[in-house]
Amino acid sequence: MGIFKCLQPYVQRCFNEYSLVLLSLSLGLVCSLASYAEPIENFRWSIDGSARINNNIASDNTSRIFALGLDTHKVFTSKSGDIGYMVGQLYFTKLSNQTPFPWMFDDKDDSTLVVREAHVNYTAGPAGMPNIRLGHFTLPFGLENNLDTNGRLLDYNHGKNLGAKVDWGIGLNDVLDTFQYSVSYTLGGKDEPKSINGSYAVTGRVGSLSYHDFVFGVSLYHAEMDGVKRKRVAIDWQYYWHTWGLLGEAALGKDTKQQQWRNEQYYLLEVNKRSVDEQLKLYTQYIVTNRSGDKKNNQLVNIGLSYQFNGQLELSMSSRKQLITPESGKKQHLVRAQLRYRF
Amino acid sequence: MKSLIIIVLLLVVAPDVSAIAYCSLRDPVAQIKQLFPQKTNQLSIVKDIDESTRSRVKQALPNNDLHFSELGKHTLYVAMNNQDVLGYVHVRSEQSKWGLVEIVWALDKNLVIKDFAFQRCRSPKKALLDSRDFKQAFIGKNYQSLKKLLSSNGITANALLLDKAKQAPELANVVLRCALKTLLITELLWWRELNQLE
Repeated sequence: MGIFKCLQPYVQRCFNEYSLVLLSLSLGLVCSLASYAEPIENFRWSIDGSARINNNIASDNTSRIFALGLDTHKVFTSKSGDIGYMVGQLYFTKLSNQTPFPWMFDDKDDSTLVVREAHVNYTAGPAGMPNIRLGHFTLPFGLENNLDTNGRLLDYNHGKNLGAKVDWGIGLNDVLDTFQYSVSYTLGGKDEPKSINGSYAVTGRVGSLSYHDFVFGVSLYHAEMDGVKRKRVAIDWQYYWHTWGLLGEAALGKDTKQQQWRNEQYYLLEVNKRSVDEQLKLYTQYIVTNRSGDKKNNQLVNIGLSYQFNGQLELSMSSRKQLITPESGKKQHLVRAQLRYRF
Repeated sequence: MKSLIIIVLLLVVAPDVSAIAYCSLRDPVAQIKQLFPQKTNQLSIVKDIDESTRSRVKQALPNNDLHFSELGKHTLYVAMNNQDVLGYVHVRSEQSKWGLVEIVWALDKNLVIKDFAFQRCRSPKKALLDSRDFKQAFIGKNYQSLKKLLSSNGITANALLLDKAKQAPELANVVLRCALKTLLITELLWWRELNQLE
C-alpha cells in the first residue's frame, strides 16, 4: 500500500494541464515531421450515436439513455516508423428517468460530457522495452482487456467488479512472441485526472496472444477508490470453435464496501454464437457473485443479441434476470434495447 | 417527422466507418514479427476502402464482394529494419462457413506474396493449410499469376490448388479469394504511398 501511494505525486504530475498541452504539441510536431511528400494522415473518426431503453420490471420503471459522441483514432509516424497512437472518445450523454443513475451524473434526468477513452500509447521504445500508455483508459483486467464493450449492452461486469471501468493514469504494455501483458498505475479519480483522498489503482493482466482460438489470462488488482479498498485476482479464458465461443472469468478477492474486509467470489460464464456473416450475434451469460456474510449468493442470467445491419447501424437487446430472490425481496429483471449508429 | 427525415438522410449519405469502437483496434504485432523476423519497427498507412473500391473489386473479380467489415479505414503496415523497407503486411477478412477468416499477408516491395499466417480461423482444417506445402502455391506469386489459380466461376480454386489443399477445399477457396483481394486492394489504394517509400 505504502509503495503504491508514494507513486501518486509522480503519476499526478503527468496530468497537470501543462503536461497534456505539451504532450499534444509534441505529438503534433512529430506527426508533421513525417518524411514523405504527402504526410500520412492515419486518422480515423466517426460520430457515434445511440439510444437505449431500459425496462426494469422489478421496480416497474422505464428509463432511457441517449449518447452522441466523437470516436477518434490517430497513428503518429515518423520517417523510421510508428511512434504511437492516440484514442479519443468524448460523448454527450443524457439520462431520462434513469434510477439508479451512474456516479458521474447528478440526478436521474441529468446530462453530461463523458470521456470514455482518451489516451496515447507510445510504441517506439527500444527493442525489448514496453509501450507506454498515458491517459484515460480501460483498466487491464479480465475479459474486458481483450473484448471491448464500450457503448454496448454486452458487459463483463468490469466496473462493478473493480469499482471503475476506466481511470486516468500510466501503463506499460507489449505483445511478445508468445504472450502479451498490460499493467497500469492509475489515480482512482475515475473521470478526473487526479487522486481523490489517496485513491489509486494498480491493475495488470498477462495472457496468451489475443487472436488465438484459445486465450488464457491472469489478472491482478489492488486499489483504493471512493473510500473502498479492493483486492482481486482473476483468471479469464476464451475458446472459439466454428461460430461458437465459450468465455469465462473467475475472480477472487476482498473489499471494504461494508467498512470491514469481506471476501468476494465472482464467476462469469458466457456462450456465444455468431452467424457466418457475423451480422447476428447471440450470447447468454451466467454470473454468480458470492460475498462472505451474505445468506444467499447472487445468480444472474443475461441473454442478449445484436444485429449489425451494415457498418453503421446496430440493434442490440438483452434481458438480465436474477435467479435467486435477494433479501430485499424482489428479483431483478432488466430488459434493454439499444439502437446504435456510427457515421 | 423532421427527425425521421434526418435519420434517413444520414443512412443514405453516411460514409463507411468501422462498426466497432476505435479503442478496440489492435495491431497484428506478433504476426508481423513472425512474418518479418528482422523487423525492428513498423509504419502504418491508413486508407479508406469505400464503395468505389468495392465496385472495382467486383469488376476485377466477378462474383466476389467485400464484407461490410472490410469497408472503412484499414491499415497497411510497412515492416522496417530501421529505415530499410522489408515488405508490407496487410490483414484482410473473408467470409466463410466458420465466420470471418482473417489472414495476415506478407508482401514484398513488388507486391508479390512472401508468406501468410492465419490471424483468426475457426475452421478445424486450418492446420492442413498452415503447411509449407500449401503455402508454396501462393509464395512468389503476384496478382496476375495468382488469378490463374481461380476457376472459371471466379470464386473457387482450380484443380491444381485444390489438390494441394487435400481435405480442406472450402478453406483453400477462402484463402485464394482473400489473397486476390489483398493484392488488388493494396495496389488500388496504397500504390501512391508505397511508391514514395522507395
